[in-house]
Amino acid sequence: MIILTILIPFIAGGLVPLLPFRKRWQMEVFLETAVVANSILVWYLLFHHSDSTFLLAHFTGDLNISFRVDGMSMVFAGLVSALWPFATLYAFEYMTKEKNENVFFLFYTLTYGVTLGIAFAANLLTMYFFYELLTLVTVPLVMHTLTREAVLASRKYLYYSLGGAAFAFIGLIMVIVYGSTTDFILGGVFDPERIAGHTNVLLLIYVMAFMGFGVKAAVCPFNSWLPQAGVAPTPVTALLHAVAVVKAGAFAIIRLTYYSFGTDFLKGTWAQDVVMVIVMFTIVYGCSRAVKETHIKRRLAYSTISNLSYILFGAVIMTPLGLVGALSHLVFHAVMKITSFFCAGAIMHQTDRHYVHELDGLGYKMPCIFGIFTISAFALMGVPGLAGFVSKWNLAEAAVESGNPLAWGGIACLLVSALLTAIYMLSMMVRAFFPGKDFDYNTVSDVKDPNWKMLLPLFVFTIFIIGFGLFSQPVVNFFSDVAKGNV
Amino acid sequence: MYLILLPILFPILSGAILLIFFRTSLKGNEKAKRKTLVIISGSLLVITALLTITALLTAKESFTLFYLTETLPITFAIDATGTLFSLLAVIVMLCAGFFSFAYMKHEDHESRYYGYYLLVFGVLNALCFAGNLITFYLFFELLTLSSMPLVLHNGSKEAVMAGLKYLFYSLCGAYAALFGIYFIYRNSTTLTFTAGGVLNPSTVAEHGSFLLLVAFVMILGFGVKAGMFPMHAWLPTAHPVAPAPASAVLSAVIVKAGVLAIIRIVYYIFGANFLRGSWMQTAWICLTLITIFMGSMLAYREPVLKKRLAYSTVSQLSYILFGLAVMNDTSLTGGLLHVLAHGFIKAVLFLCAGAIIYTTGKTRVDELRGIGKEMPLTIWCYTIVSLGLIGIPPTGGFISKWYLATGSLKSGLPILDVLGPVILLVSALLTAGYLLPVTIQGFFPGADYDYGKLEKQEPSKLMTVPILIMTVLSVLIGLFPNLITDYLTAIVSAVL
Amino acid sequence: MNFICNFPFFSILLSLFSGTVCSMLPAKAAKVVNRVVIITVGILSAILLLYLLSTGEPFVYWMGHFPAPWGNEIRAGVLEAGMALFFCIIMYLSMAGGAHKLYGEVVESKHNLYYILVNLLLCSLLALVYTNDMFTAYVFVEINTISACGLIMIRQVGRTIEAAVRYMIMSLLGSGLLLFGLCIMYDLTGHLLMSNIKESVSLLVANGEYQIPLIVSVALMCVGLCIKSALFPFHAWLPDAYGYSTVSSAAILSSLVSKGYIFLLIKIIYRVIGFDIFNSTRIIDVLFVFGLMGMIFGSISAIRENDIRRMIAFSSVAQIGYIYMGFGMGTQAGMVASIFHILSHAATKSLLFIAAIGLTDVSNGSRKFIDLTGAAYRNKWAGAAFMAGSLSMVGVPLFSGFISKLLFSQAAVQVEGKMLASLIVLGISTVLNAIYFMKTVIRIYTPVKESSYSGITFREMKGYAVVLVCFIVLNVILGVSSQPVVNMIEQGLAMFA
Repeated sequence: MIILTILIPFIAGGLVPLLPFRKRWQMEVFLETAVVANSILVWYLLFHHSDSTFLLAHFTGDLNISFRVDGMSMVFAGLVSALWPFATLYAFEYMTKEKNENVFFLFYTLTYGVTLGIAFAANLLTMYFFYELLTLVTVPLVMHTLTREAVLASRKYLYYSLGGAAFAFIGLIMVIVYGSTTDFILGGVFDPERIAGHTNVLLLIYVMAFMGFGVKAAVCPFNSWLPQAGVAPTPVTALLHAVAVVKAGAFAIIRLTYYSFGTDFLKGTWAQDVVMVIVMFTIVYGCSRAVKETHIKRRLAYSTISNLSYILFGAVIMTPLGLVGALSHLVFHAVMKITSFFCAGAIMHQTDRHYVHELDGLGYKMPCIFGIFTISAFALMGVPGLAGFVSKWNLAEAAVESGNPLAWGGIACLLVSALLTAIYMLSMMVRAFFPGKDFDYNTVSDVKDPNWKMLLPLFVFTIFIIGFGLFSQPVVNFFSDVAKGNV
Repeated sequence: MYLILLPILFPILSGAILLIFFRTSLKGNEKAKRKTLVIISGSLLVITALLTITALLTAKESFTLFYLTETLPITFAIDATGTLFSLLAVIVMLCAGFFSFAYMKHEDHESRYYGYYLLVFGVLNALCFAGNLITFYLFFELLTLSSMPLVLHNGSKEAVMAGLKYLFYSLCGAYAALFGIYFIYRNSTTLTFTAGGVLNPSTVAEHGSFLLLVAFVMILGFGVKAGMFPMHAWLPTAHPVAPAPASAVLSAVIVKAGVLAIIRIVYYIFGANFLRGSWMQTAWICLTLITIFMGSMLAYREPVLKKRLAYSTVSQLSYILFGLAVMNDTSLTGGLLHVLAHGFIKAVLFLCAGAIIYTTGKTRVDELRGIGKEMPLTIWCYTIVSLGLIGIPPTGGFISKWYLATGSLKSGLPILDVLGPVILLVSALLTAGYLLPVTIQGFFPGADYDYGKLEKQEPSKLMTVPILIMTVLSVLIGLFPNLITDYLTAIVSAVL
Repeated sequence: MNFICNFPFFSILLSLFSGTVCSMLPAKAAKVVNRVVIITVGILSAILLLYLLSTGEPFVYWMGHFPAPWGNEIRAGVLEAGMALFFCIIMYLSMAGGAHKLYGEVVESKHNLYYILVNLLLCSLLALVYTNDMFTAYVFVEINTISACGLIMIRQVGRTIEAAVRYMIMSLLGSGLLLFGLCIMYDLTGHLLMSNIKESVSLLVANGEYQIPLIVSVALMCVGLCIKSALFPFHAWLPDAYGYSTVSSAAILSSLVSKGYIFLLIKIIYRVIGFDIFNSTRIIDVLFVFGLMGMIFGSISAIRENDIRRMIAFSSVAQIGYIYMGFGMGTQAGMVASIFHILSHAATKSLLFIAAIGLTDVSNGSRKFIDLTGAAYRNKWAGAAFMAGSLSMVGVPLFSGFISKLLFSQAAVQVEGKMLASLIVLGISTVLNAIYFMKTVIRIYTPVKESSYSGITFREMKGYAVVLVCFIVLNVILGVSSQPVVNMIEQGLAMFA
């Protein structure tokens, strides 16, 4: 059952270039059906899962590739499978202007399977395997336009990701050698007898592995691939570089911290301080770069960098509440950021404008897009009543509760970042809606909202943003169950 | 029950509808269009005002709308402090609203203006009725967001920049406050506003000194909205570029939201007993005194009328904050009284400035020679309220400053108890120095003034009547202060 | 004695004689003979391996039934048999993969000379693997050198001659040092048979006699073999030798010849000196350090290289560094990892060489990266194979490279003092590998608008494509079901002792 959810996207994706589609809509229908079916399957699985581990293959010794559904995987898989069908729908419309669609959709769909593989991985090795695979299947997507920029970007992406994985690998080795098992167990798997006397080395390795997985989560100083990868088509930037890929990095760090090394081992050590400082710095750094950036998608990419570190900040607080904060931002940020990326993509698709200063006066011409864009901006800023507030509240609460003065400083970073978020998001809105007195509206007379394929996902996401903001309780309760290991 | 929601939801919804649908749906020529628009918005304003007053009179219980998370309810409740601010808001909003029907004739995008105006009205009501800190914070942010379009309304480059400056300053303040809220949440029994404070005694013992820092950060944060030094710079930028009625509302009501916020956290969350006598109180008083003096000085040197008034607002708001910071019954009464007095006075001043700009297009003080001859009624009102702001009996300003000064003197704070009244006095002199030249030059333009060019150009009734109403109100406060001080004493005795 | 025990001797003899026979045959026939011999030897080794696995005991084969200390001995254990089998597989695939290029690279008249050399090379490799006699080992080292030189030089381009001369000089230096070491050892112990030397050495160590000469002897042998197997900083001969010789030669040289020497070194460590005695010397630390440096500097040179073949050659330097790092850890696990890496690297590197030739062929024979742009579209099979090889080099799971990385790091963790250094260098080296291999992969997968080069279809290169697929399969087998292989290596090492 689990393996099926990973295989379906592989098969469907693989069939795209092979099947003889006469018309484009046939391919669309085929893919959309496959993706939706798979998502339904995933959700069915989430509600009717058993605790048993599904063993796919032995690797060497006691290392194996196996899958299991636990709380964390439910969160991540649920998130990914909920967003994917909509993103695919959006991609159909967006990709009409791009070439080599078949190859694109092949890898796009493969990525779905790989991401689910990360979500359902039952041990560190399996996750590492899919993590590497994720890098490989997403490179063609970044490279898609095949311009020089795109090639350079994908190269950088590859170097960074593989390099990061190399250091994460060392963490994997530590868990293999010093852990009682490589399976994910909340609270960690280290064998207290075996690690005695090796604490400092292990902490150093933890920091290294954190940075290694952190490459995907765009932790400073390994963040520069993300804005560059923005040359990819927008559905990719939106889904992969706001949700699947980067969240996989955050997810991996959470797994590493809470399920492999264990918070009891890490909490209160210098390693925690180090990673927390790095994360805090990234939060502020990402935002400030976003303010400076004038290209819309790159601006959003920097914003992603900062927001990913919110998640990591929650993770490195290393308390159950911190995990709740991290998880809620993991999910909520995904929805918010995919919305804003899709809006940016819609603007680029409809008007071919890529820079912030070109947004003048578009607001009233594309009311739906900019309305939604504004809502997502408010959500990212953390206006109460929208999703972003809830996750920030959870994060800050966790920080306060932890009693760690460094984490209190982290709250300040969060708020500085919120202010900067307001600056870089709202300056775009203000431009669009209030272009200025002497603005010539004729220059935007032929601009209009895109068609339903683009708007439908956006509306659904907006409902999610507001819904999570107002009625977050069930979701957050679920997260705390996950964090306490009750799921 | 739902009465308390109506004055909040009704203007917000109607404002939103106005914003979304009015641009396109209206048929007919420009003039007819405008007429319909004015009638619709006018009636919406009046209905809102009526709903608010009904709510003030009838709704007594708190009402929880829903839970943001399990522990964060969105709750509305009307208490005496809220009523005070709400009344001020209703009167000023109504008067300035009617004033803008005349004033906005010479600006574009009118429907947008009225839409946001109504939104602001609703949000202000919500702010006054907010029953706990989270609700308050929610609407505090919304207030910033919805009032920003009023600031940058005319769309010129500097207006947009001013709007953004306003936005970022306010958000900066709001986030500083949010920082505090996170800590309060953990260290208090509840977030519901309770007279005397809600801190959890056991954690106070543990984290007391840190909580003082938190309180200070929060006051700085909310102080941004109230134009407190060092984050006052948005005020003189935002006021001159906004349409005059908008500046009136901004200066008379919206900045008071910052004051209300500080009242709420000092007296309803931390509790005066916790803060009194700490380093935080001293630092706060110093900041307010600096602001008072600095605001007046800057106003005195400023040639542009509206900007001068904006600096004056900076200074006057810190009178109020000074009253709050001293934390005894007299000073607090003075502060609250000054909320009302300053609210009306500053609204009138800005509306007068607006009327002058509207009819003559003049913005600088030195251009206003002989203006009293052209618009006698307006300048008379201006003069009366100026006297009030300076603090000459029997106006409202006198009473409030009296309370502030005596309160400070009996507070027993070292040095500051005397320094405070001194600075108040100096600032009053400066106030006279920067407000009265308009009157003097307006009525006594000098011998070389060419009376031939003079023509009577009193603005329309829509403008003069709101100005008159509020002038009368500000004088009434001075004449019959007992009515209000009795009411205020009830508030003060509850929280101290 | 069981008949199967003759197999090692048979295989050596067979390849030696076939070399002689080839000199008399026309080129075509020589090719057939060569293939048949490789396959036969492979089958013999496979049978031997199965036999040894079933008995679980190594055996010693007396040449001419003269017992020690007079006779010459052959010894076969699981490791030897497995190694021989593996060498045959790689050699066969390399030969098959490079066959079609031979016509372009080597003058027709010298083809049978080429096959003679290959056969001799196989013979010497087998001898190095099986022999139990130090002097025999030395003799075959020399034969190996000569045939390798020939293989490099047979493509008569200016640079190959230079490369061959350079290789010759370095190699002779290496074998000279080995000979010195051997002489000293003979002086000290009076034996040439490995098992006898070992007894004497442990006696010497136990008595504390002749410490310094012993160390010098071991050091000389190590340095000699290091030079021959191109450990950093003795790698100067390597890029030219691998980069300009014919493709099969390059593949064989990089994946087998240097590995033959390394295997000999392993034998010396285990069978001549004794693992524990070797570990107690400082030599392993030196090997460790140079291994680490090789990992880094080899990769850096590869990154700076602008020629695909030379890049792969430099990558070999790095990979040899991995192997020596494993030695340097001085543990059983480190040794297992090293031996596994010998296999994994042999499988991957020959794959890369063969795939690279496919890519350069469709780019007008140019080996510069700029011309290779989009080559993977012109030759799809070579492109895919190159990518697979690169992924294996970078250490992506499912490929053999991942397992060797895994084994190395697991081994590293058990060595207290060397853990951090080796782990961090492993990480950095992976990053560097990723940089140059992935750069190339992206380059060959970047399409060009108007290509002046023509592509190649599957029909035109069936044999070549099959070879590539075999290589990939071999790689994946090593990557997925590594456990049996690792078990075998452990068993073989146990038999050494």
